[in-house]
Amino acid sequence: MIETAAGAPSLQARELSRRFGNGRGVGPVTLQVAPGEVQAIVGPNGSGKTTLLRCLATRSRPSSGELIWFGSPDPRAARHRLAVVFDATAHADELSSWDNLSFFATARGVPPELWEPALRQSPVLEVADDPISRLSYGMRRRVLLDEALVGSPQLLLLDEPTLGLDVSARQWLVESLRGRAREGLASCVSTNDTDFVEQVATRVCFLLEGRVLRNAPLQELLAELGGTREIRISYRGPSPRERLLRVEGVEQASETEGGLLVLARQREGLLAALLAALGELDRSLLDLTVRDPGLADCFLRLSGRALDG
Amino acid sequence: MAERASAAPSASATLGAARRRTRLWQLELRADLARRRALAIKLAFPLVLVIPLITTGAPPFFAGMLLTVLVAMIGTVGTGVTVTRARGSGWLERLAVLPLPAWRVGLEIFLASWLVDCLQGTLVVALIAITQRPDPATLLTTWLLVLAALAFSGAIGLAIAALTDHPGEAMLYLAVVLAPTLFLAGIFTGVPASGFRYWTAQVLPYSYLHEGFQLLLGGNPPYGDPLSFLIAAVVFLALGLGASASLGRSVLSRGA
Repeated sequence: MIETAAGAPSLQARELSRRFGNGRGVGPVTLQVAPGEVQAIVGPNGSGKTTLLRCLATRSRPSSGELIWFGSPDPRAARHRLAVVFDATAHADELSSWDNLSFFATARGVPPELWEPALRQSPVLEVADDPISRLSYGMRRRVLLDEALVGSPQLLLLDEPTLGLDVSARQWLVESLRGRAREGLASCVSTNDTDFVEQVATRVCFLLEGRVLRNAPLQELLAELGGTREIRISYRGPSPRERLLRVEGVEQASETEGGLLVLARQREGLLAALLAALGELDRSLLDLTVRDPGLADCFLRLSGRALDG
Repeated sequence: MAERASAAPSASATLGAARRRTRLWQLELRADLARRRALAIKLAFPLVLVIPLITTGAPPFFAGMLLTVLVAMIGTVGTGVTVTRARGSGWLERLAVLPLPAWRVGLEIFLASWLVDCLQGTLVVALIAITQRPDPATLLTTWLLVLAALAFSGAIGLAIAALTDHPGEAMLYLAVVLAPTLFLAGIFTGVPASGFRYWTAQVLPYSYLHEGFQLLLGGNPPYGDPLSFLIAAVVFLALGLGASASLGRSVLSRGA
């Protein structure tokens, strides 16, 4: 179990702002990450996620506000206990993953006897001797994560960690984060991959244009969407939107590239009523998918904008 | 995971090797040496210039001038452009969040680059030694001056890298800084017997190096003597190392 100073959160940001010369930036942001928690920072491109993460990671100095790591405002002391994965996959490219990993472990003061267990669990073991330059982008991302996790840091900061990962690597990352969180690792993840966030996060901070829209526990956010279903309908011919809007429980129906997106309150017989409405119009239905709405819908409701928009 | 381990028969041997601690300067140096093609070009480049100079019997003053400029360029470009590229790739950003003091990062990056530069400089001196057969004291002190001038130039390169993110821009700044520095060292015109330029030449390593090369090539420069070369080499080597350590914070904090 990871230990921190008695009762101290691993990371605290109070009214933190980081502004650039052009007035853009992020903040004020107030958040707190305790051991075992995974704080997600979610927002569309340009919302200030990376700027915020760079401050939390000791890379950038905030313009105002307060940052405290493990009860201390000293970033140099914090660097002994945190690990950061930025979006760039920079390495000593001509050398192997082992070579690179041994450097990062040495720099973080991890004794060599602790390297081997971490290396043996690494998903890049098969290509560990190959120069980094010969690895795919996804494999390089996996090496970055290995380097971050070796030696059990107490605070992990990840910028777009799922970028370039295939399904198995992504699953490995989810399991690693969950497992480490159970051991007490505090994490902060900047991403707009809401499926990933729903799998790992305990709290979610939504950012838009540098401002915090909402910072709340994941379950609270999802519960607010409870009782709503998302139905995506592909069809041939003119749009059945008007007819579907007349179906009891349908709250919203909007045309998208993939067809009609319907948000409706869950009730008995909802799908049958929708199909009946489609049938009355004598349309040929191509596809129909139903799912519970997630964080992306939550963001849409809060901001009126799609996360990937 | 056991399946994965068995799928990689070399894993155990690799793990054993990986238990060695790796410092930043070791990683950087090994990476530099692993770039075989780039390394071959780096080593060949000074020789391509030096061979015609010493085989055609060019006047020692002019040959020494070209060799001094060459050493200054090797040192500044080697460190300046490498560090600028490292920032562009995100490597410096990764180093900046490690629990390493900034001075150590600056010093270790400089050290790796300087060692490769020393290899280039040593080849040049070795070639001159083989063809000209100078006296050992002059050879040794001039070689030390080459290493010291490379260190001094490397620190200039590091300072430039703290000012820009673009390798091309770094090259321009290096030229802008080096040209007057070399002029003040008396490389192009010789060192006058007194006055401002006499004193500026005394505090720049390139004036000593120019004289050293002239001696190696059979010339007779006005101020050259091995003891002053030795003292200058020690002073400028220490200066280069100290400046590189103190520049670490500026290099890392750019772009933060």
